Amino acid sequence: MSLKFADSDSVQLYGITWSKWSASLSRMFDFIVAVIVFLAVTSAVHLNFMLLAGDWDFWVDWKDREYWVTLTPIVGIMFPAALQYLFWEKFRLPFGATFAMVALVFGAWMARVFAFHEWSGFPYSLIWPATMIPGALVLDTVLLLTGNFLATAIFGGMGFALIFFAGNWPMLAIYHLPLQVMNSLVSVADYIGYAFTRTATPEYLRFVERGTLRTFGGHSEVVASFFSAFVCVLMYLAWWFIGMLLSTVFTVPNKFKTMMGLKAEPRQKSESLAV
Amino acid sequence: MSSMEAIRESTAAEGLSPSASTKDFSTSRFISFRGPVLAMLGILALMVFLRMYQQMYAFSAGLDSTTPDFDKYWMGLLRVELVLLVSSWAALWSFLWFTRDRHLDKLQVKDEIRRYFHLIGFIFIYAFAVYFAASFFAEQDASWHQTVVRDTSFTPSHIVLFYGTMPFYVLFGVGSFLYAMTRLPKFASNISIPFLIAVVGPFLILPNLGYNEWGHAFWLMEEFFSAPLHWGFVVLGWSVLALGGLLIQISQHLIELFRRADAERGAYSA
Repeated sequence: MSLKFADSDSVQLYGITWSKWSASLSRMFDFIVAVIVFLAVTSAVHLNFMLLAGDWDFWVDWKDREYWVTLTPIVGIMFPAALQYLFWEKFRLPFGATFAMVALVFGAWMARVFAFHEWSGFPYSLIWPATMIPGALVLDTVLLLTGNFLATAIFGGMGFALIFFAGNWPMLAIYHLPLQVMNSLVSVADYIGYAFTRTATPEYLRFVERGTLRTFGGHSEVVASFFSAFVCVLMYLAWWFIGMLLSTVFTVPNKFKTMMGLKAEPRQKSESLAV
Repeated sequence: MSSMEAIRESTAAEGLSPSASTKDFSTSRFISFRGPVLAMLGILALMVFLRMYQQMYAFSAGLDSTTPDFDKYWMGLLRVELVLLVSSWAALWSFLWFTRDRHLDKLQVKDEIRRYFHLIGFIFIYAFAVYFAASFFAEQDASWHQTVVRDTSFTPSHIVLFYGTMPFYVLFGVGSFLYAMTRLPKFASNISIPFLIAVVGPFLILPNLGYNEWGHAFWLMEEFFSAPLHWGFVVLGWSVLALGGLLIQISQHLIELFRRADAERGAYSA
């Protein structure tokens, strides 16, 4: 038996007939939920990113050819993968990854403007955040075209990492110009890092200037990107399943029900428990 | 028995007439934006105040914890925050508990729908408060501590972030959970694990502060914001994803209620 309404009072949604009243409330629900999801995703993605790879994002002199290129996509792909599960599998919305990365850019810029710049006094040229929106677009596009999480992990996950350096290069290129400072060859980014004192933070050269990290030729970022791409594939798979786990509805009986003044559920007979 | 027959039977059992007047079903009776919007503006005003307070007194009175000015401006703010927040916990949670509905089995469909929208408004306020703690003031913490050497756990950044905004979102997280448990039949009869994770995970960031402060005092770790010492916050932050499970659950409940409400309005026929 199905619901039947007069044409003037009904609307078809995904093959199901609803009253216009229900459809209207449902749309209001969608609107409120969209705002909640944006706030929650901004909070979670930003917290996760700043505490796992934040240092490389805070300071331009940390945006190097190896660690930054390797770590940022690996950490960045965690929530896009989980949200793609929720958005795509539960609601058929093909923009979970892009949504996460736009939320991250929003959260990061709010902090860079009101904290790093307005409070601690650093210039924007030292503190601009990187973007992973290009990689997220690739990830969403692959999921939309294939509808398959494994293909998205392999092709989308690799694309997410491989496009990262190129996607940020227009903003970063000028900081790689060489300078001579006190008889040392440094980049513009390094010099900005020297000039603005961070009492409790090392300039990045002190942090990474070990071994052969900066003595490799110009292919460092390519090697780093491909290594990051490999890890991103694995990370995508892990986080797709974490998204699945946390999007699943589990409930357990409320043991406090009688304490709340409500009727207790009838006790199950031992015979039924033994089945 | 088909689902619609079950709905009709349950509707009849509740004494509801399928031909009930539709005038009680205007959408404005179910959704009120006034409460959430006022709460949001109140929170925004509070956060702007805290940020301006930092701008005025952090560099002028917040660099040396042994000075009288530090005690006046920063420890004073801390004491006020702790008293107000603990009081607000007790007030809101007690109110929700003592005014609970003891007759959930007699709850009308339209009242249940209205309560679901109240719950969604509550969760919206929770998410808005979490944003300031987990995103805005959290990254601000890096901008302060990577610039200024600390000599206390109660820094101008921490007093706002850890002892202000974090207990503040706990108020609404636990409040929304209690609201659902005491006013909505399905959440009263069964505990929602996704909801529990989405509330308890961010709440556990508070006790994790003990480890964080211990580690900073012991190892003096200022140089590296991504240090393993901070990863407790990371794992607990993942719990926000459980809001996805809660969204699925609330959607399922609302779909069922909309069907029952449509049936109650007499908008179906055999």
